[in-house]
Amino acid sequence: MLTKDEFIIPLVRHRTQEIVVTSMGMVRPWAKHSDHLFDFACADSAMGHAADFALGIALARPERIVICINGDGSMLMNLGTLVTIAQSKAKNIVLFVMQNERYEITGNQPVPGAGSADYVLLARGAGIGRAYFFDDPQKFSASLPDLLDGDGPVIVAVRVEAGSERPLNRQKAEPARYLRPSLAESACALREALSDERI
Amino acid sequence: MTHVVGLPDNASAALFSLLSSEKKPQLVTVTREGEAFAVAAGLWVGGKNPVVLIQNTGLLESGDGLRGTVMRMRIPLVCLVTYRGYSTMAGAKLAPPREGLHSEILSRRDIDSVAVLTEPTLKAWGLSYDFLVENDDLAKISEAFKKAKESIQPTVLLIPRDLTAG
Repeated sequence: MLTKDEFIIPLVRHRTQEIVVTSMGMVRPWAKHSDHLFDFACADSAMGHAADFALGIALARPERIVICINGDGSMLMNLGTLVTIAQSKAKNIVLFVMQNERYEITGNQPVPGAGSADYVLLARGAGIGRAYFFDDPQKFSASLPDLLDGDGPVIVAVRVEAGSERPLNRQKAEPARYLRPSLAESACALREALSDERI
Repeated sequence: MTHVVGLPDNASAALFSLLSSEKKPQLVTVTREGEAFAVAAGLWVGGKNPVVLIQNTGLLESGDGLRGTVMRMRIPLVCLVTYRGYSTMAGAKLAPPREGLHSEILSRRDIDSVAVLTEPTLKAWGLSYDFLVENDDLAKISEAFKKAKESIQPTVLLIPRDLTAG
């Protein structure tokens, strides 16, 4: 099993100009290590819709890799998206499913299928060939360059420790900088940043 | 318009068939209507100008996806929504704003309850809408794009009959 930092720190180290969409229990932990123009928090939005939102960006910007850090509870809310991603043949999306098997933000209640659901099998059954599972931090870190390289879509289930994240609010006093603007302001800012050819 | 995101129904089937044979706009079919709004939101953030095409049943299904993505993100999205059950509802003179939404109406077997709920739902969500009925209404499409852009919100065009009907 990985700690959140054991997942995030290697990913931040390897990340260059990829767009990163975070959700739920990974929103604030990600922001402790990353403050990037292309970070986007799917917070104060609609639970279960980070992966399909990320797919939309990937389809719009095929020249850029889009990384989505989704929760397993969120993934379960919208498993059909795995099929949509497979059908889209988007080569530039890497979807991480953080498998803590808990609804962390609401107090760590177990998700359905905790201990039995297999996201690699679900992804492969949906038609996604590149589907992987990690529960060892060293193996995960060593595999990251390959995971981010080559044609996607790529699905990566990662068993992580449950944390104790609080509910996500967008407010000016929020330590995570990308949670300070409203969701609308964040969406507009990312659209503008992506349209800037100098980046 | 760069992309059409949605799910086909009987009324829109011919349009989906046409779109699937064209390169532009690009068709993105999804598994559930809530997904359509999230994918459209991502496309817009990525710099594109998508349209959503779904049935009114799917509009009801997609409540939180619609609220939490394109509405919360203030995305100027035009949504084409086929209006299942409109003709029987209109035939029964059940204009939804005039009638209460009590269970007797919602359970009537001669009425499709989704039709009765469609416009009150749009109003409850604060979404502007208009109707596409006749060929003369086609100008409303460009008006909808203008309205969405000016209000920085989604706007809906309801299509109460089969798109291929004469």
